[in-house]
Amino acid sequence: MVQFRLPKNSTMSEGKTFKASPDAKNVKRFRVYRWSPDDGKNPTIDTYEVDLDKCGPMVLDALIKIKNEIDQTLTFRRSCREGICGSCAMNIDGANTLACTKGIDEVKGDVKIYPLPHMPVIKDLVPDLTNFYAQHAFIEPWLQTKSPTPEKEWRQSHEDREKLDGLYECILCACCSTSCPSYWWNGDRYLGPAALLQAYRWLIDSRDEATGERLDDLEDPFRLYRCHTIMNCAKTCPKGLNPAKAIAEIKKMMVERQA
Amino acid sequence: MSASNKDMRTPLARVRAHGSAKSGTGDHIRQRMTAIAMVPLFLFFIGFLVSLVGADYETARAWLGNPLVAIAALLLVVAAIMHMRIGMQIVIEDYVTGERLRSLALIGNFFFSYAVGLACIYAVAKIGFGV
Amino acid sequence: MTADYEFHDHTFDVVVVGAGGAGLRATLGCVEKGLRTANITKVFPTRSHTVAAQGGISASLGNMGPDDWRWHMYDTVKGSDWLGDQDAIEYLCRQAPEAVYELEHFGVPFSRTEEGKIYQRPFGGMTTNFGEGIAQRTCAAADRTGHAILHTLYGQSVRHKAEFYIEYFAIDLIMDDEGQCRGVVALDMATGEVHRFRASLVILATGGYGRAYFSATSAHTCTGDGNAMVLRAGLPLQDMEFVQFHPTGIYGAGCLITEGARGEGGYLTNSEGERFMERYAPSAKDLASRDVVSRSMTVEIREGRGVGAEKDHIFLHLDHLDPAILAERLPGISESARIFAGVDVTKEPIPVLPTVHYNMGGIPTNFHGEVLTLKNGNPDTVVPGLMAIGEAACVSVHGANRLGSNSLIDLVVFGRAAGLRAAELVSPGQRQPELAKGAGDNAIARLDKFRNAKGSTPTAELRLKMQRAMQEDVAVFRTGETLVSGQKRIADVVSGIPDIRVTDRSLIWNSDLIETLEFDNLIVQAVATVEGAVNRQESRGAHAREDFPDRDDENWMKHTLCWVDDKGKPAIDYRPVHAYTLSNDIEYIKPKARVY
Repeated sequence: MVQFRLPKNSTMSEGKTFKASPDAKNVKRFRVYRWSPDDGKNPTIDTYEVDLDKCGPMVLDALIKIKNEIDQTLTFRRSCREGICGSCAMNIDGANTLACTKGIDEVKGDVKIYPLPHMPVIKDLVPDLTNFYAQHAFIEPWLQTKSPTPEKEWRQSHEDREKLDGLYECILCACCSTSCPSYWWNGDRYLGPAALLQAYRWLIDSRDEATGERLDDLEDPFRLYRCHTIMNCAKTCPKGLNPAKAIAEIKKMMVERQA
Repeated sequence: MSASNKDMRTPLARVRAHGSAKSGTGDHIRQRMTAIAMVPLFLFFIGFLVSLVGADYETARAWLGNPLVAIAALLLVVAAIMHMRIGMQIVIEDYVTGERLRSLALIGNFFFSYAVGLACIYAVAKIGFGV
Repeated sequence: MTADYEFHDHTFDVVVVGAGGAGLRATLGCVEKGLRTANITKVFPTRSHTVAAQGGISASLGNMGPDDWRWHMYDTVKGSDWLGDQDAIEYLCRQAPEAVYELEHFGVPFSRTEEGKIYQRPFGGMTTNFGEGIAQRTCAAADRTGHAILHTLYGQSVRHKAEFYIEYFAIDLIMDDEGQCRGVVALDMATGEVHRFRASLVILATGGYGRAYFSATSAHTCTGDGNAMVLRAGLPLQDMEFVQFHPTGIYGAGCLITEGARGEGGYLTNSEGERFMERYAPSAKDLASRDVVSRSMTVEIREGRGVGAEKDHIFLHLDHLDPAILAERLPGISESARIFAGVDVTKEPIPVLPTVHYNMGGIPTNFHGEVLTLKNGNPDTVVPGLMAIGEAACVSVHGANRLGSNSLIDLVVFGRAAGLRAAELVSPGQRQPELAKGAGDNAIARLDKFRNAKGSTPTAELRLKMQRAMQEDVAVFRTGETLVSGQKRIADVVSGIPDIRVTDRSLIWNSDLIETLEFDNLIVQAVATVEGAVNRQESRGAHAREDFPDRDDENWMKHTLCWVDDKGKPAIDYRPVHAYTLSNDIEYIKPKARVY
């Protein structure tokens, strides 16, 4: 049955506390998951007190401040800091989001920060997304055509191009897939909302001529039909996309080609 | 990226695995069709039960002997059992881990559904037609 | 070499370092030609900074009205303030349409015109008929063009089974005694293992070094690692004094608001509500080239006409535009403005400030992407085995100032060119001589030095000092005085490096170590930048000297070359600007006054 006993190294204990300087007036506590593969110890929750008067407005600003000034060993991914590269996806205040676009003031009380759920952790807030990327590669994210390639561009009507809106903007941050219980339980066989949203982006592209083959590859009780419209994906997407709707559209296409 | 995985297959090999089962849409359609069918059938069945409150066994039996009622009851049984089987299968696939346990549960679900289904049909037939 | 480290050896035909637009396009080109190609990247490809490019990619498709590659070339030359090499610019502008169609065929979801063609918008400095009208030349996928291109190129790389080494940090090049590049050494961040890649050809596509400044639109990962590797290999960087300030970075956060916002009709105002660009650039107005707009904004702020409590920024208005147009063509910046400035663009102006955005300078190359150096008096000596493309390179097509949307086209045109050249230079599986004993030990020494750095100054402290110095002293306007001050402050940071402290001693995902290596890369580029700026006694493009306010073609129509040695000491020399074109289809465009 469902594994109720957690793996040995997944129980967490209280870690170190880094106090803010006594003259700081506007202090917020950041409770951050820490785990290093080096020492074989169980994960801890370290507490950092940050003076918000000397910190930028976003959670990423606080993490960078902690790394720069308090604890250089804190490890996380980050790059663009404007919500387009998808590096700093993590679980903040109980929901998956991008640290760079999550305002500290959106969180009441302590800011609790964990890595994306149910992914193997490499270190601290850095998850191993190998499987996630392989699933994205699996859906063949490129234009497939059979007609002779035109000299100039493939024509696409305004209306057909609009169908890609809400799909092509995906930044592969993995917030949605790692928020999906179905993906937690069957992430090895269920492609997950991110890969399926990408799949739909190519299925619905009017220029693509491999729709049938793409549908064939998806028609599977696990790859596609593990989506039970729980909707966590749509709720958590930091870019406001709706993978659940995309998946529903794929299912609709599946039904349409049967009847 | 990660070197922690002892499985030496490539990540893509793991995702591709045994390929597409080329199925699932059938169950998807059946699950929805049976759900739709059950709405009027259940309403009818509840109405039927309510109308029989206080009635004796012979009255109930006579009613079930009515072809319309019997067919509705049989349809309800078929729809509900089909719906249950698919639903149970999804629950098992979601929550039961371990290949052997999962297979056993799925086999159990299959036999259980057919057994219960046939038993219900037999019961309706027996009451309605006095087989 | 210490016992701690052991090389994991690989041999490839080509190794590409960096997986942004240029790196991916080059990788793709090499793989297509049957070359065994590795792509080493410190972030997953779709996290590269190309993803943040917004407005579009320029190419004279003529979808929105007449256009000609010659007009594009004229604009680019004028934008570069005549410092661009015109053979390379001709190559860029002629190849641009084909490169864009190729991207479209790859699957880039470009916005569309009513006829179903690629939508093109006006952009700064882009004109028709050699400066007469405003051209619509910038091909756009809403305001997420870089994202659309990068994800598509990544998909194509997957399609062609390109071999990626993801989250590998390149430490140093392997150069042999003859000055040929023989490979590269990289650290696998996930395991801490060191990999030595032997290759017939190394292509650097490592991007710019915006993070040498305090406030930049650039990502945290824009640390110009390839540029620094080239300096450490004893090769020069070119035109490093030319740093582009984008007129519209969000005030405070520094996030980019695309020039496309002005292309779609947005305009700037000062505290008096005046559309001040009309005074500075009567014909192009808000769509003058970026250096011009950034300087005008800075003057407005200096003269007390900035907006806000501190009168230290400018407003960008989009509130007069149709909300439907904003939603269709500028959805990304509408979101950015809401998140980072708390502004609803349909109702309020966006507070903006000129922000460091792009490095025109970089590794000198020819238009094939081959790295050049000045050797025995020959300024076009090719460094064998080494190429550079994208923002890391200085081809030079952007000269002293890049036009908006010319960067994305630079990536794909020269990424493609590098692939084509690689196929000419290297045959698949070509035999490579054994590496010399001790090859790559320079990289190990560098890694080990910082991994065990036990000084008293944390990396972040030194980095901040560098960023402050660059921000304050090598800014939009420069004078001899501020530049000399910047020179001293940067030298001061250099002298602090022996006392640097790395706290994290682990090997697995040691980002403290990586940030230190990145800082070490940034500081040498900061040295080259400030040195070039002190040295260049004229104003040209993005390099605006108040003590030398005019362009001086007689003395300064030349590229700066700057070497920086391992002590952080710079040396300057020059390369001539190519005063010729590639073909007879267009004549050399002679310098004249640059008015918008």
